[in-house]
Amino acid sequence: MSSNDILDMYIYETNSLLEQLETIVLDAEKEDTFSQDNVNEIFRIMHTIKGSSAMMEFDTLATVSHRIEDMFFIIREGTMSVVKEEDRPALFDVMLHAVDYFRAEMEKVEAEEPLDKNVDSFLANINSLIAKIKGEEPPAPAPAAPAAPAQAAASAAPAAPAAAAAAGGGNPDFPYELRVFFDDGCGMENLRAYMLITSIQSFCSEADFLYDPAGVESDASTSEQIIDNGFLLMFKNAGDREKSIPVIREAGSVRSYQPHDYVPAPPQDEEEPEAEPAPKAAPAAPKAAPAKPAPAAPANAQQHQKESLISVGLSKLDQLSAIVGEIVITEAMVTASPDLKGLHLDAFSKSARQLRKLTDELQDVSMSLRMIPVSNTFQKMTRIVRDMSKKLNKQVKLTLIGESTEVDKTIVDSIGDPIMHMVRNSMDHGIEENPEDRIAAGKDPVGEIVLSAEDTGSEVIIQIKDDGAGVNDEAVLKKAIKQGIASPDAEYSHKDILNFLMAPGFSTNTQVTEFSGRGVGMDVVKSGVESLGGSVSITSERGKGMITTMRIPLTMAIMDGMEVSVGSSIFTIPINNIRSTLKVSSGDILHDSIDGEMVKIMDGYYPVVRAKDFYNLPGGTDEIDQGILMWLESGDCSYCLFVDELLGEQQIVVKPLPAYVNSFDIKNYGITGCSILGDGNISIILDAGGLFAAARGA
Amino acid sequence: MNAVNENVLFQVQEDAPENPVLEETVERRKYLIFITDDLRLGVNAEYVVEIMSTHTATYLPMMPDYICGIYNMRGQIIPIMDIRRRLGKPPAEVENLLVVLNYNGTQLGILVDSVEAMLDIPNASILPIPSQSAQKLVSGMCTLPDGSGTMLVLDCDQLIPHE
Repeated sequence: MSSNDILDMYIYETNSLLEQLETIVLDAEKEDTFSQDNVNEIFRIMHTIKGSSAMMEFDTLATVSHRIEDMFFIIREGTMSVVKEEDRPALFDVMLHAVDYFRAEMEKVEAEEPLDKNVDSFLANINSLIAKIKGEEPPAPAPAAPAAPAQAAASAAPAAPAAAAAAGGGNPDFPYELRVFFDDGCGMENLRAYMLITSIQSFCSEADFLYDPAGVESDASTSEQIIDNGFLLMFKNAGDREKSIPVIREAGSVRSYQPHDYVPAPPQDEEEPEAEPAPKAAPAAPKAAPAKPAPAAPANAQQHQKESLISVGLSKLDQLSAIVGEIVITEAMVTASPDLKGLHLDAFSKSARQLRKLTDELQDVSMSLRMIPVSNTFQKMTRIVRDMSKKLNKQVKLTLIGESTEVDKTIVDSIGDPIMHMVRNSMDHGIEENPEDRIAAGKDPVGEIVLSAEDTGSEVIIQIKDDGAGVNDEAVLKKAIKQGIASPDAEYSHKDILNFLMAPGFSTNTQVTEFSGRGVGMDVVKSGVESLGGSVSITSERGKGMITTMRIPLTMAIMDGMEVSVGSSIFTIPINNIRSTLKVSSGDILHDSIDGEMVKIMDGYYPVVRAKDFYNLPGGTDEIDQGILMWLESGDCSYCLFVDELLGEQQIVVKPLPAYVNSFDIKNYGITGCSILGDGNISIILDAGGLFAAARGA
Repeated sequence: MNAVNENVLFQVQEDAPENPVLEETVERRKYLIFITDDLRLGVNAEYVVEIMSTHTATYLPMMPDYICGIYNMRGQIIPIMDIRRRLGKPPAEVENLLVVLNYNGTQLGILVDSVEAMLDIPNASILPIPSQSAQKLVSGMCTLPDGSGTMLVLDCDQLIPHE
């Protein structure tokens, strides 16, 4: 099932990238040039398609996108002026052709049809264009280009029919065929096929039917063949086939079946090579076999392929959660209405309780719609690490922590790329080339990459940590100077140098590889995370490895919060940030040298921040004994916030503060939003981490 | 009577297409006139969403002193500004009114002492402020048509910063 999810995601992502690409190309065609931004964008799109296609093992797609990427690499280096005026139409044609090609292939992937293996003529097209852009006239550009496709066609042509023949099977002695497809990912297809055979044997003698692939009962590798081409049963008599249809229909996990009559194949010509795709066989079926259930079967199959997923616009979900939020508030307003005070309304209270239960459920559902675990994105990385360690011949294990962390859909969508780039970077540049080097450095010969996700209540922290060689400051600086990012005269700190890694166009690997090495990675990471309002930081120690930390703010519409009061102000603190609350007396408060206050809890000392003083609130108590300390934690900070009293836990609907208010930089003081309480009052939502950072800075 | 009335209405409609030349020359705008600390200010009525007599502002820390807080207007969170403090004057002791403005999508409530009237004022009669006495937040001034005084035109551009 999970591999299916990956496939769905891949198709969806690639399709949206293609859409983006098409718009860029179409717009650029009007201008008759690509702007440098466009070139960068196309380059990134191709880079991503290349990477994910290689991961899914769609090699032809990876090859084509790699060539296009190469082409835009040249254009990016030399700007659009390297493309001569007369070559531009060809460039746009090739790009649009590429979009069409990828789209067609995506459709095939979706329909689980085999991909077009013959991409040579298209590649030759791109290659000749690259040659033209480079301005070098290859020895014989004109003959070379047509020759390649011709050759390719020649070599591909015989291969394709052969495949078709193999898939089609066919035996003139057993003309009544029945092709059975099993459910996607049901597993053990060969044994399921074998079970079909045994049940058919109960009414049909073994001599009267054949099946393909043979040897299903003992050879597990036939599973794949069955997945790709279906399981083919061939009967001598039409009657036996009729009888077996109900058997197949009742068998478990059968997705579809298609009766088909064997027609002696005419000499296979150009039209044949499509290896008998399932939908095409369907129309023929009713004609050949008058079996009544047959026409229904293909329709079922198609419905099944659509899966039970629908895509919903995010704006609709936003609308939904806004309305649910209003309902929750209104419900509280109704049930706690002052008009009801002092009345004993049994039936009302009963219904109110019921309503509360339902609204709670509604809220949970509406929230869960947008929240998905990061595990899918993380699982993708297992695949990358596995494939890359094979290709690069490095032994690396990937450890995943906090896979089940749930984050908003928009976040999951946007962190995939950055994480992928970081993992590739670690694989490519981080982990040492030779295990000997690792042993010499006193490390486990098997490298480790740790990918972790953590939800602190106000933000998600995603960390990619490797125990490789770490960043070589001098090499990075040298490269940065060479790339013109750094100036040779200036002095740079360790931190500055690490930041060069995230500058556009920077890459320390001199060799361009399939996985990384053109400096698109890190700046994609940075811009991707920043577009989410987050930040990326890199820390590295030479010889120990490198840690990349991405902090992404949560955009949760509804959350659990603790209401606290200070004077007449009401604040909400996310429950996730609260470690505990405690009452202390003034004697427990310790003073440090700079007028700060601390308190000892268990075996540690924690700073105390007084909300009243920090926010300059008009009311509130100054007496430690009269208030309460909230022990808060967020990320790596842990401290106590002093407030007047606890009002209780509540689910609240987060509302952003008005833009006008935000323009006063209020976010930097740990105020992230507000919420409307049941009585119409407003509580202010505090961000524990931001508050502490501001209090420290103040 | 009815017949006459209908006739008149009909005429007005007929006249309308001939009028634009005349209307363009006398462009008018509606202004909401309010009083704050003895100043008579006017704000383009287009920007006024509503006027409220009861309101409770929730204090929002770390804001300039002229922002009294935020207010929940039917689920919308609106910042409230005390126009007196914004102009550097002492806050009012008496109950005041809240005028909610929507300027280019930004909502802001302003506290004023009282609201006087809604008036049609020809654009041409709004004069620039004499440069030597440039006022904060004021983009022009005009004498009220009934001669009862002078109105200062509130400059929403300055009042409500926007992107």
